[in-house]
Amino acid sequence: MPIKVPKDREVPFGAITPAPIKQQELFITSNWRIVRPVIDHEKCTRCFTCYIACPDSCWSFNEKEEKMEWNWKFCKGCQICIHECPADALSAVPELDFEDGVVRLEKPF
Amino acid sequence: MAQEKMLSGCAAAAQGAKFAEVEVICSFPIRPYTAIMMELARMVANGELDAEFIHGEGEHAQVSVALGASAAGARAYTGSSGVGVTYAFEVYSPAAGGRYPLQMAIADRTLDPPGDFGSEHTDAMSARDQGWLMGWAATPQEVFDNTLINYRVGEDPKVMLPQFVCQDGYFLSHIPDKVILPDLSQVREFLPPYRAPHPLSPACPVSHGPQIRPDQGAPMDAQRAITFLDLPKVIEKATDDFNRIFGRNYDPFIEKYQMEDAEIAFFIQGAHANTCKSAIRHLRSQGIKAGMVRPRWVRPWPTEQIAEALSHVKAVGCVESSTSYGGATRGGNLIHEVRTSLYDLNNRPMVTSFMAGLGGDVIMLDDFYYMAKILTQMVKDKKTHQLVYWVGFEDEA
Repeated sequence: MPIKVPKDREVPFGAITPAPIKQQELFITSNWRIVRPVIDHEKCTRCFTCYIACPDSCWSFNEKEEKMEWNWKFCKGCQICIHECPADALSAVPELDFEDGVVRLEKPF
Repeated sequence: MAQEKMLSGCAAAAQGAKFAEVEVICSFPIRPYTAIMMELARMVANGELDAEFIHGEGEHAQVSVALGASAAGARAYTGSSGVGVTYAFEVYSPAAGGRYPLQMAIADRTLDPPGDFGSEHTDAMSARDQGWLMGWAATPQEVFDNTLINYRVGEDPKVMLPQFVCQDGYFLSHIPDKVILPDLSQVREFLPPYRAPHPLSPACPVSHGPQIRPDQGAPMDAQRAITFLDLPKVIEKATDDFNRIFGRNYDPFIEKYQMEDAEIAFFIQGAHANTCKSAIRHLRSQGIKAGMVRPRWVRPWPTEQIAEALSHVKAVGCVESSTSYGGATRGGNLIHEVRTSLYDLNNRPMVTSFMAGLGGDVIMLDDFYYMAKILTQMVKDKKTHQLVYWVGFEDEA
């Protein structure tokens, strides 16, 4: 019997894909996050320590609004940014507290 | 001009890599396979072979370097033996999953129990389920030929898988035999240059080896499984082309010896098959109808061909040169798959196995006669008395 991979579960041959300009939308990898960092923009000093500390480059600076932006698609919830933040502007909030929390997903994405 | 030379298995593998015009080689010493790299290093130094020769800092690095080279679009070659094969283990699955058709020569060697260096198939057999092609040669000529055939099959756009090209350490790797070296033009006709479909290149940037989600893992496994279903056709075509271009007479999957009227059969892979053939000639002179089946591939396992070849015999003895401690038969690996291959036959033969050729032991003619005695007794009693016999460690049969 031939093996049939359902259309919605197909993966590129060898998982080789065109290189992403900014992020790889084909492989969103944050579904095992248990907590997420939530930022208090009042406390944030824009020191960029979170930007440097994040192993997955999930913090970036929105120049227009002059505030830090968090990327939910690739944050694993490791909390390094929370521990490193010198202004205590970040806190760990359980995914269950959010309606779109990844722990609530029935399918990975 | 084609020429004939006396070459050891290692020298034949090196010649195979040279004729395949490999572009990147990564070495690290461990006997017995080291002789392959010694030959290749000499060829590169003498200007006979235009390849990048890289010294890895270990076997894990060796396969990683070959993987990277293959990802960049180069035909990559590496190799190892024994504990070197197991040290590189982590890289095997990514090499197959990322579809890098690099080649690794293995001149097998006992894994440390501790500190043995004799031939045994356990090192490579441990890696048989990693999505690589795998098979044992029986002669230096077959080592040379398999090097080319494996690149051709592995680099097929439908396949794109790495290959273990195995030979018995010492028995094959260090004993010279006649090898016909072909014209380079013949090889080029058989083996076109390697074209990676998506090489790492600044001109067209691609991502290799990304993090994927757990739900994407099973489809990746299925990709490889589907390829293995299609592989037999590719192997058949490649072997046909090989036979035509080089004037050889290989069966794509198995070698059969005196099987037409055989009642008992040895199932054996690698160079011990040569001794087995001598034993069969002697057994036949004594009126015992013995035959031999030798698989040329372990992965993909030639299920149908083995079933067909063994369908008319009464008893089969798998000569195991690898261990599967605590496995279904408490013996080796081959019997698991041979018995599975034969299970659906209407008149399936009895199957037992013989642990022999372990740790560097030579399988002597007398050992084959001992096995034949057990197989003959099985036929007489119509009963499989034991699933495994440790040759030389059992009470008299």
